Amino acid sequence: MEQILATTLRSAAPLVLVATAGVFAFRAGIFHLGLEGLMITGAFTTVAVGEATGSVELGILAAVGACMALSAVYWWVIGPLGANVIIAGLGLTSIGLGGTAFALGAIFDLRGSMFTDVVLPRPVRGITSGPGVIIAEHSILVWLTPLIVLAAWVVLRRSRFGLRLAAVGEYPFAARTAGVNPSVMRLKALLIAGALCALGGAELSVGALHNFTENMTNGRGFIAFVAVIFGAWHPIGAALAGLFFGLADAIGIQSQINITERVPREFVLMIPFVLTIFAVWVGGLWRRRSLEAEAGYAELREPDY
Amino acid sequence: MTGGLQRLASTIVLVGFSFLLTALVLWTSGYGVGDVFSGTIQGAITATGAATSTVRWAIPLLLIGLGVVIGFRAGFFNIGGQGQFYMGACAALVVSLGWRGGPATLVILCGTAAAIIAGSAWSLLPGYLRVRFGTDEVLTTLMMNFIGALVLQYLTAGPMRNPSGTGQTAASERIPEAFRITDSSGVSATVLLLVGGVAVLVWLLLERTRFGLTMTLVGRNPTMARWQGIDVRRVGLVTFGLSGALAGLAGAVELHGPGARLVTGFSPEVGFTAVVVALVGLLSVWGTVVAAIFFGGLQSAILFLPIVTDLPPPALVLLHGMVAFLVTVKFRSARRRRAPLVPEALAD
Repeated sequence: MEQILATTLRSAAPLVLVATAGVFAFRAGIFHLGLEGLMITGAFTTVAVGEATGSVELGILAAVGACMALSAVYWWVIGPLGANVIIAGLGLTSIGLGGTAFALGAIFDLRGSMFTDVVLPRPVRGITSGPGVIIAEHSILVWLTPLIVLAAWVVLRRSRFGLRLAAVGEYPFAARTAGVNPSVMRLKALLIAGALCALGGAELSVGALHNFTENMTNGRGFIAFVAVIFGAWHPIGAALAGLFFGLADAIGIQSQINITERVPREFVLMIPFVLTIFAVWVGGLWRRRSLEAEAGYAELREPDY
Repeated sequence: MTGGLQRLASTIVLVGFSFLLTALVLWTSGYGVGDVFSGTIQGAITATGAATSTVRWAIPLLLIGLGVVIGFRAGFFNIGGQGQFYMGACAALVVSLGWRGGPATLVILCGTAAAIIAGSAWSLLPGYLRVRFGTDEVLTTLMMNFIGALVLQYLTAGPMRNPSGTGQTAASERIPEAFRITDSSGVSATVLLLVGGVAVLVWLLLERTRFGLTMTLVGRNPTMARWQGIDVRRVGLVTFGLSGALAGLAGAVELHGPGARLVTGFSPEVGFTAVVVALVGLLSVWGTVVAAIFFGGLQSAILFLPIVTDLPPPALVLLHGMVAFLVTVKFRSARRRRAPLVPEALAD
C-alpha cells in the first residue's frame, strides 16, 4: 500500500507539472497538443546538458530555455502565421519525439537510451519500511510540485494577469476591447507552459530515473492534457486529476505484478482515457461551462477545414 | 480556381520549407545531405523492391488519409485514424484466428467486414457524442486512439499472444497463409484493385454526388447548412462512420496483406501521418493519392537508409513533425485583425 502511494506521487509529479502547463495554455484558448513534444524535449535537454556540464541545474535551465524557445515558435506559427492549432501542436509533438531520438543518435551516437549520473537531489532518503516509504526517495521537484501548483493557482485565479488570460481565452473580442492584446497574452501563456513542460520532462528523466530513453514520455503529455480537461482547466482540479492518473498508473504497475490474472494491466491503463471521454461528454452537457476557452479556441481554429 | 492554385502553391512551398529545415538539421548534425538524398531516392524508387515497398506503405496512408479527407471536408476534426486502424486490424485478427478452418475467401471477407464495422464503431462513438451533445471530437478521437492502442496491446499480449514468440514486443499468432491477399511485400493485384476502387468511390462520393456536396456545405458553414434544411447530425454520423470504415479497412488490409500477424504498437505513426497526408493533399482525393505515395516513399526510404548511411530512423518522425507544424500556415497578404468568430452555440 505504501509502495503504491509512493509510486503514485512519483508518477503523478511530471503529469501534474505538465497539466499545469496545459492549464495555462487552455486558459488562453489554446488546445495545446504539443505538450508531449515539449516534455520529451525537456527530458532530453536536461540529460544532455547535464551530462555535458556536470550540473543538473544548468541542465534544467537549458531545458527550460529550449522548451520556451520551441513554445515561442509554436506561438508564432499558430498566431501570426495562422496555422491550425491542433495540427501544429501534434507536429510539435512529433518534432519533439523525433528530434530527441534523432539527437540521441546524432550527438551521442546512442540508440534507445542514455544513462546519466547527473540527477536531481532527493531530500528524504533511506526509509525502507513503514509509512515513511511514501515520502522517501522523491526528487526535489516532486516536493516543489505542490508549490508550483499553488503558485499557478494564485497567478491564474488571483492576479490581474490570470484574469486577462481568462478573458483572452473566453472572449478575445472583449479582451481586445478592454485593451488586452490576445496575441501577446497567448505568447506569455505558452512561454510559461513551455517552462513547466521542461520541469515535467526533467522530473521524468533525472528526477524519477537516471536516464533518457527514446519516447520515454510514452503519451504522458497527452494524459496531462487529459488531466486539464478532466480537472475543468482549474490548476487545482488539473493537479488532482494528474494525481488520480498517477494512482491509476501505480495500480497498473502493481497489477502487473500482483493481480494480472484478474485485471489485465491494459484495462487499468485505459481508465484515464475512458474517464476523459466521459468527462468531456458530461462537461459538454453543461453547455455554458464547455464554452469557457472555446471562443479563444475558435479564433485560432482554422475555419476552412 | 485561383484559390485552389494559391493553396497548391503555398502547400508546395511549405512542404519544401519543412524539408529544407530537416535537411538543415541533418547537415548541422554532420550527416551528408547528398548521401541521405540519394539514399532516399534509392530506397523509395530505384533499389530492388523499393517501388513495391513505397506502394506498400502508401496503402494504409491513403486509406486512412481518405477517411481524414471525408471528415475534414465536413468540418469534423477526426484525428482518430490510428485507433480505428488498430481496431480494424484487431477485428480482422479475431475473425481470422477464431475461424481458422473456414473457407479462405469467406474468412477474408468476414474479417474485412468486421474490420470495417469495428473501425466505424470506433469512430461513431465520438461522432455520436459530437453531433448529439457537441462534445469536442478532437479530444474524444484522440482518447479513442489511446484506448485502441491498449486494446491491441491487450490482444497481442493476452488472448491472441503467440506463446512461442521470442521477441521483446508481444505479437499475435500468425494467421493461416491462405487468409492472406498478398505476400510479405504487401502489394498484389487484389490489393491495388481494392484500394484504387475505394479511391474512385470516395472521389465519386465527394465530387459527384449530392451527399458529397452536402458534406462540403456542412463543413463550410454548419449554421447555413442547417437553415438550408440539411440534417447536419445525419451528415455528421455518416461522415464519422465512413472515416472509421476506411481506417478499419486499412487495418484489415494490413493484417491480411503484409502483416499476417499483429505486433504491439505496430505502425505507431500511421494515423498522424495520414492526417499530414490529407492536408498536404489539400483535402482532395487525387491530391491525397499523390501525397500518400510521396510519404509512403519516405517511409520505404527510411527503412532502406541504414544500408547507405547511419541516419537514425527517428529523422523521419522529425520530418513528419516539421511538415505538420508548417503545412497549415496561411499566407496572408496583409496582417489584418480578424473579426472574432462567435462560437456556434452562441450564434444560435
